[in-house]
Amino acid sequence: MKLNNIRPDDNISELLKTDLNKGFQLLVEKYSQKLYWHIRRLVILHEDADDALQNTFINVWKSIGNFRSESSLYTWLYTIATNEALALINKRKRNAAVSIDDLESYFTTSQEGSTWFDGDEAQLKLQNAIMKLPEKQRIVFNLKYYDEMTYEEMSKVLKTSEGALKASYHYAVKKIEKIIVND
Amino acid sequence: MKKLNDIPGKNPFKVPDNYFEEVNRKIISATSDIDKEVLKVGIFNRFRTSLLIAASVAGLILISYTTIKLLTPARVNSQVSEVLHEMSPDLYLNDIDLSSLEENASSLVLSEEVPDVSKKDIIDYLLNENIEINDIYAQL
Repeated sequence: MKLNNIRPDDNISELLKTDLNKGFQLLVEKYSQKLYWHIRRLVILHEDADDALQNTFINVWKSIGNFRSESSLYTWLYTIATNEALALINKRKRNAAVSIDDLESYFTTSQEGSTWFDGDEAQLKLQNAIMKLPEKQRIVFNLKYYDEMTYEEMSKVLKTSEGALKASYHYAVKKIEKIIVND
Repeated sequence: MKKLNDIPGKNPFKVPDNYFEEVNRKIISATSDIDKEVLKVGIFNRFRTSLLIAASVAGLILISYTTIKLLTPARVNSQVSEVLHEMSPDLYLNDIDLSSLEENASSLVLSEEVPDVSKKDIIDYLLNENIEINDIYAQL
């Protein structure tokens, strides 16, 4: 399901004002999968994605009062999820129990990795190439390529100008194609 | 394979069976345990705009009222005097010269001559009051 197919959020926004518990439940049901996959593509490991997803919704719950209904609900959610994913990546860099710098090796040789990867060789190469991108470029690429987010929406999530995001995506694609060809 | 478009944009990762149903339950359960104080803050924030407008209007009314009061001191004193009089009429006695009042009053009370009233009228009045005629003449 693409992101464009699950908008708008007018009903959820209204429900959050009148019946917070029910509105939040609807929000979780609607967005947990989308946010999980967004986080998972950044942190790679299922356990990490699971932690980050739960933290994301706990933060959403705690700060739901600060959400201004005039802003977009889903870009707000993606901002929180992205921040949680980045916080987890930084934490993992400090206490690296599992190295996943080489995804190809991780997903093909380790039992844990192979359990949670369902792609073919081309997709494995693609994931490996994405992992070699700088952090910000990786987020931009994932949001555009997998979530099909518009640059306007992405600029709200990442607090970056649309022009900079377009350039970032363009360079990301070039780098990925170069890595894939060289492999 | 030279282009990104050659690779199907399929999600290559997997999750445990029924993961999303379980994680949704976990999230709802975890958030229901969070202190309700958080929600109180949230409710305040949601009505923040309305509260600010109400506070501004109240402030404006208070400032206007104070200004009017300050610009009309005579009216204020008059109102205060009325209120004080209702509360304690004795307070007015402080404004009266009691010694001059007693002097004027005594001259009236002690006067034997009552103007415009004849002795006959007085005797008639006293007889109507059942006072003995002898007692009346004894006083005259």
